[in-house]
Amino acid sequence: MTASFTRTRAFRDVVVVIVLVFGVGSVAMLLAHVSPVDGFAALFDGAFGTRGEIAETLVQTTNLLFPALGVALAFRAGLFNIGAEGQLVIGGFAAGWLGAQFPLAGYLAVPMVLLAGVIGGGVWGAIPGVLRARFGANEVISTLMLNVIAVLLTTYLVTGPLQQGNAGASETGPLPKAAQLPDLLSDTRLTWAFVIAIVLAIVLHWVLQRTVFGYELRAAGDAPEAAKRAGIDLGRTALVAMTLSGAIAGLGGATIVAGVLHRFNTGLSPGYGFIAIAVALVGNLEPLWIIVASLGFGILASGAIGMQTEAQVPREVVSLIIGLVIVALAGRRVIATMRST
Amino acid sequence: MRKRFGAVQAVDGVDLELVPGEIHALVGENGAGKSTLAAIAYRAVHPDEGSVASDGVVGLVHQHFKLIDRLCVWENVLLNREPRRGWSIDVAAARTRVRELSARYGLDVDPDARVETLPIGIKQRVELLRELDREPSVLLLDEPTAALAPGEIASFFTTVQDLAKRGTAILVVTHKLAEVIAYSQRVTVMRAGRVVASHLTGETSADQIAREMVGGEVPALAARANTVVAPLLALRGMSAQSGTSVLREASFEVRAGEIVGVAGVEGNGQSALADAIAGVVPFTGEMTFGGEPLRAHETPASRIARGIRVIPQDRRHEALVLSWNVRDNVALGRQRALALAKFDDAAREVIERFDVRPPNPDALAGALSGGNQQKIVVGRTLTSAPKLVVAYQPTRGIDVGAAALVQSRLIEARNAGAGVLLISFELDEIFAVADRILVIANGAFVGEFDRANLDRGRIGALMAGHA
Amino acid sequence: MNATTAAIAAILGLTLVKATPLIYAALGGVLSERSGVVNIGLEGILIAGAFTSVAVSGATGNPVIGALAGIVAGMLLAAILAFAATRLAVDQIVAGTGINIAALAAAAFGLVLVWHQPGASHEVPALGHTGEIVLIVLAFVAAGALHLVLNRTPWGLRVRACGEDPSAAESAGIDALATRFWAVVIGGAICSLGGVYLSLAELDLYSDGMTAGRGFIALAAVIFGRWTPLGATGAALFFGFFAALQFSLQQAGVPSELLQALPYLAAIVALAGFAGRVRAPAADGIPYVRP
Repeated sequence: MTASFTRTRAFRDVVVVIVLVFGVGSVAMLLAHVSPVDGFAALFDGAFGTRGEIAETLVQTTNLLFPALGVALAFRAGLFNIGAEGQLVIGGFAAGWLGAQFPLAGYLAVPMVLLAGVIGGGVWGAIPGVLRARFGANEVISTLMLNVIAVLLTTYLVTGPLQQGNAGASETGPLPKAAQLPDLLSDTRLTWAFVIAIVLAIVLHWVLQRTVFGYELRAAGDAPEAAKRAGIDLGRTALVAMTLSGAIAGLGGATIVAGVLHRFNTGLSPGYGFIAIAVALVGNLEPLWIIVASLGFGILASGAIGMQTEAQVPREVVSLIIGLVIVALAGRRVIATMRST
Repeated sequence: MRKRFGAVQAVDGVDLELVPGEIHALVGENGAGKSTLAAIAYRAVHPDEGSVASDGVVGLVHQHFKLIDRLCVWENVLLNREPRRGWSIDVAAARTRVRELSARYGLDVDPDARVETLPIGIKQRVELLRELDREPSVLLLDEPTAALAPGEIASFFTTVQDLAKRGTAILVVTHKLAEVIAYSQRVTVMRAGRVVASHLTGETSADQIAREMVGGEVPALAARANTVVAPLLALRGMSAQSGTSVLREASFEVRAGEIVGVAGVEGNGQSALADAIAGVVPFTGEMTFGGEPLRAHETPASRIARGIRVIPQDRRHEALVLSWNVRDNVALGRQRALALAKFDDAAREVIERFDVRPPNPDALAGALSGGNQQKIVVGRTLTSAPKLVVAYQPTRGIDVGAAALVQSRLIEARNAGAGVLLISFELDEIFAVADRILVIANGAFVGEFDRANLDRGRIGALMAGHA
Repeated sequence: MNATTAAIAAILGLTLVKATPLIYAALGGVLSERSGVVNIGLEGILIAGAFTSVAVSGATGNPVIGALAGIVAGMLLAAILAFAATRLAVDQIVAGTGINIAALAAAAFGLVLVWHQPGASHEVPALGHTGEIVLIVLAFVAAGALHLVLNRTPWGLRVRACGEDPSAAESAGIDALATRFWAVVIGGAICSLGGVYLSLAELDLYSDGMTAGRGFIALAAVIFGRWTPLGATGAALFFGFFAALQFSLQQAGVPSELLQALPYLAAIVALAGFAGRVRAPAADGIPYVRP
């Protein structure tokens, strides 16, 4: 894909996003009897008004960036991983349970907790990967199902056999101080998770563009028949891509647990794994652009809270906009490829 | 009439007149604008300039059949013109209509058969019946015999001549000059979007038409050097299946330093043969390469590692990543051996030796012409020092110049000691290039001929399935 | 009637109740996919039908008008997906996911607008027991009708042609984009009845998350039913049975979360067992772009 082609389309996508944000946002605000000017002022004030709010915007950016990178990796391999939400939940649970259950030594605690998230999410991503590689089962349906199952399973575990916290509460016990991610900005919820996410995006960009593994993964996604005949094992690629994709989303869940909530709660994600699809698409499935897209959606997500409290506009407006963004931008890349065939 | 697609002037100021009762042949190289002209006449494509006038309905039989595999014959023939009874389709009337139609034109076919179960020759009847049901006064046939055996071609043209006698004006778009001479009354030659000649067929010859198509002499192929042949690939009772393509009990050898041509009509087991050698599908029976047995469930990667390289039939889907640039496409299949640092050198070597245009490693593969795409595929295969090359329809849909270059490079690879298995649906290509010829029909090998004693008629009969 | 037969009768009755919304959603999915559009947005359309019917029933006091409004809402939402899938030629799976997010958010937003409270609506005039029975029977009627439409009518043949090979359909003079558009929209109307059933027949209110992934189960039912209306109905009954079983087993002390997961697990297992043995319509999920 030539650079100019990508840039024109990226520009068009940004215009679509802006039109949807301000258009749908304004209509919704008018329905709620709020002047759009006041509503958007409250939104931007909520995202940037104070040091704490800026930090919160970056927290939301981080929480979206992890699953969006996971989604992008799978999409680049031609796999529709709609299951980032479930992978994030399972990763968060694994991290929270391990951190609360075992008093880990100081320097090991945070890495072990994050690793637990990676493994949990990786396993949850590997299941549809295996089902596809071994049985040819469509990953769209299986990941959708596994999202629902993830929430039910973790709810059962934390209230049942693995209960640590209060009876009846759908959460694990609290993480000891040693297992919590250190703050990046004091007295805010912003932790080193933000830095980890940015570094991960850069590494992923490098892997996709500069390694043979990335080359093979992109070939499998862009032209599976040609890739197969060029000696690339499609089943193995699908399994590895789904596992990595799930692991990245799981790491995201672990950073929410270790950085923000300091315990696992079954409601830890207000749909980050679904919004991540929009983030990945707006970022054109390029890890570096996804950083920018995450920031944009992070502003919306944290601003939504300010908009609700200051202007009494229900924050769901933002989810509505995000859903419509996904519909409008769905798979531009896929289509660009198809048109040329 | 004029039509431009992007930077390509596909049709450039063409006038063409079709007369009732006449079979008019339209010939030209790939990319000369024939199919575009036919599509404009059918009104499927709007010309940028010019107009189409006709008395009555225009019918078009597509080169790649516009049939829906999982619907039955009558559903395909009467789609969007279904006889109705109240709110529902009158299925009995539909069957009767198709039966009557096939009886009238002598095109026997079962109205209730599912199209995917039919052989290609019958599918073409269905395609023809669908157009005939519209009672066209003008019938356009786009490469109608591409998938037919020599015997089927004759009976197909009997039907076409019969239609012409009933007063239909007929345009046959083709590149097979033998058919032009045998069956048409008038011939128009196109090159680069323009009409370069128009003749009464009786007043011209195949040689003259060929020169007019190419715009000069047909390019010569590379000379054939003497080689020392040595055992390389041997099949004994090998059977395989790839999709609908089935190969049964194949036994033959390809030796280093020779080109073995597999002659046959499309859909007779060639895909299963190519895919089994490529490691894309498993096989039963025995296959040895360089004296070592090939395992039935080996992957394409291990075949590549042994020095077996396959040029797939469908370059756009099976060989290239169209959204990638030339450099990354040249590396495909050698990505591990080359490593990223050497991608650029490999691309420049292919561009230079195979005359890829534009000579730019950053050009998008999808933006190149078919001929230049094929040069990338053939180039990356032959520059990787293969021991065995399986070339499956290596010149399909590319212009004469590019085809000659591809064929010459295959001969040079043979001269240098590689074994080449050339699978082609074009008998002329096999006669021009192969040292030995095997004939395949209905999934089995039915004959073998040496370059020294070819029998064209006998090969044609074998291809049609007549033992 | 002894205790065992009573228990079996209860499970079978509950199976019908649990299967009905799945049948509607699966039939909507079948029609959409036979035309070549994969409809991941079934869940969102269920939400649209469920929420709108409650809102309009509350506003007008007439549950029948509410139900009709629910159908219209489902069609409008399906029309967005259909427009994106045909005219914009976007990826259908991703677009459907967006539809689900948008519908869930719009309903949550609507709860606050209409009832000034998050989570759930107030109780509204509902269709009642008679309405429930009518909708259950209608589901089976719809299955039979869709079977006839797809297999016996000119429009059905055109829909199937577009799902198999839109380019060939267009060469026969069919407008493949329009055919797909209307198949998805009418499929949306059928699917939204499942939502109406959930909120206005089985209950008398809308609450966040009440569709609980039924749209996804319906997608699985479409596959197990081999993309046929009758097959999908059978598969929906199968999943409905698992949902009904859940209630009986819960009384026996099995944890409810695991039981709730049963239909989803069954769907995954069946998916793995079925894959490779069923063929989707050849052009299912592939956007058609005119040359």
